[in-house]
Amino acid sequence: LEDAERAFTFRAQLRDDPDVASAVAAIRALLGFLKQDRGETIQGLRSSLRDAIDTLSRVDSSVAVSSGGELFLRFISLTSLEYSDYSKCKEIMIERGEIFLAKVSLSRNKIAKLCHPFIRDGARILTHAYSRVVLRVLEAAVESKKRFSVYVTESQPDEAGQKMAKALRKLNIPVTVILDAAVGYIMEKVDLVLVGAEGVVESGGIINKIGTNQIAVCAKAQNKPFYVVAESFKFVRLFPLNQQDVPDRFKYKADTLKTGQNLTEEHPWIDYTSPSLITLLFTDLGVLTPSAVSDELIKLYL
Amino acid sequence: MGRRGAGSGSAAAMPGAAERGSELSEQIEAFAARLRRGGERPRSEDTARQTLSLLRKIVGNGRWSRAGELMDLIRTEGQRMTAAQPSETTVGNMVRRVLKVIREEYGRLHGRSEESDQQESLHKLLTSGGLSEDFRTPYPSLRANVIEAINEMLIELEGTTDNIAMQALEHIHSNEVIMTIGYSRTVEAFLKEAARKRKFQVIVAECAPFCQGHEMAVRLSKENIETTVMSDAAIFAVMSRVNKVIIGTKTILANGALIAVSGTHTLALAAKHHSTPLIVCAPMFKLSPQFPNEEDSFHKFVSPQEVLPFTEGEILAKINVHCPVFDYVPPELITLFISNIGGNAPSYIYRLMSELYHPDDYEL
Repeated sequence: LEDAERAFTFRAQLRDDPDVASAVAAIRALLGFLKQDRGETIQGLRSSLRDAIDTLSRVDSSVAVSSGGELFLRFISLTSLEYSDYSKCKEIMIERGEIFLAKVSLSRNKIAKLCHPFIRDGARILTHAYSRVVLRVLEAAVESKKRFSVYVTESQPDEAGQKMAKALRKLNIPVTVILDAAVGYIMEKVDLVLVGAEGVVESGGIINKIGTNQIAVCAKAQNKPFYVVAESFKFVRLFPLNQQDVPDRFKYKADTLKTGQNLTEEHPWIDYTSPSLITLLFTDLGVLTPSAVSDELIKLYL
Repeated sequence: MGRRGAGSGSAAAMPGAAERGSELSEQIEAFAARLRRGGERPRSEDTARQTLSLLRKIVGNGRWSRAGELMDLIRTEGQRMTAAQPSETTVGNMVRRVLKVIREEYGRLHGRSEESDQQESLHKLLTSGGLSEDFRTPYPSLRANVIEAINEMLIELEGTTDNIAMQALEHIHSNEVIMTIGYSRTVEAFLKEAARKRKFQVIVAECAPFCQGHEMAVRLSKENIETTVMSDAAIFAVMSRVNKVIIGTKTILANGALIAVSGTHTLALAAKHHSTPLIVCAPMFKLSPQFPNEEDSFHKFVSPQEVLPFTEGEILAKINVHCPVFDYVPPELITLFISNIGGNAPSYIYRLMSELYHPDDYEL
């Protein structure tokens, strides 16, 4: 019963605020559960939060929810190390949790401020599917009076690219929607590629909507810079060496996984782009080269 | 800043302080004017030293009582100096180093442990209580501490070329053919140090249109190093016979790329094609936390007289002539950076940067 309730709250949050990142919504939900939790021990808290994270992953199976959950658990561990008294600890956790949520809501603006100088006047940008961070960056570029045009891939099977194009047209940016298959064709015309990420892995590579790897390979072949914009809570402790290494629970939607059918017949929703194809990552921790990402993760988790 | 200070506080301040304030402001103005004029090619080390001396004077004689005020003062003066000549990145680097020093000294006096890193990180996001440093508490010993730290930096500056040259024997072996371009004093010291114990050949690309390679070749041959000068067009042709390419640079950017003398990108591409290692000898004060982006402020164009003399009047009316001084070399083409703190790969530059500068200071 509790599970269903939690799933319901989470789903409601995602629906009510479409602009918020799914990881932030997950952390907000987890903070809510933390406040309601009636346990008396840290271990009890951790196990009930693990259950909660599982429930959330069953609603939205993306990498971002998983990384947000991991981050929250880490946050609990770090705080519990400082205070041995449980009730005081819980108070501090709730307070810090609120501060953390406040800080991450500013992260998109920080990233936009870092990234928009890289868009020159007259640039032609290629982007993939629908990313709210990329949208914010382009908005910041428009605010600084730059003129540029955007190519968006259609991004099947959910046509997320059309949603992105609609949002861009509202900002009065000239936008062209292209077929996913036309990336190789259009690459010679573009000046830079700018994509978001659902997760940033330890090697400095990214996990993003299917098709991103293709774009990165084309960009590398034609010497175009490939920029990734991602908030720091998307850093996840995975180290995939190839596409097969990415866990199945991220590749397919939660509903598909539940039915338990043969996954070899299914199309994955995400792919992994290796760090050698990425030029720079723009995060709220600063502009990072792919090799700097693992440093950040180590600082947190070890 | 000094002049304004002298005016407002003149009633209470001693006449000596006011004089010193305006004299300091004049010195800064003269420094900025010299930078702006360009002209002669100043040694990066000299520019760095002059910047540090000026900053030390500001710390010593400036009107400030709290760390926050000092940082604002230095930031303002720093902005003035960097605006004079954006391609002289050493000025900005030294200003950022001093700002980091102030933060550290303040932190030490404030009693904060070294452990609590001031850097942004996921860890800090999760565990911080919220308030960031406001640098408001006055500490009387801060002035002396900061000046001492700047003196240490000046001493470190003196030794950079020697530290780099000391590593020469590890990288240069007997009977090797080394290629370099233009005239870099760091590379000159590096090669001279190796020549004391090893016998090798050097090919110098002349680096048109200023042909500084000629001067480099003369200096090297005085040390009995077998030197050959060749034109830039022949770089690719001889590259197959070269064992190593060793170059200097003007600036190292935050992603590990270089802003070096015009012609270096060609050299780097030729080296990559032949899989020849490209070694960059540069001291740490040339590391700048800027990324190559729209700003393009690193570019410097000088009179095209060198490319096409003004005597060619007829042609000049019909064409555009440019004479850029610098080149951008992407990090994939570089094998190793040799600096006064040792050898590092280009992918490690981000780490060195986090040790030298504070992220809040990247934008002066």
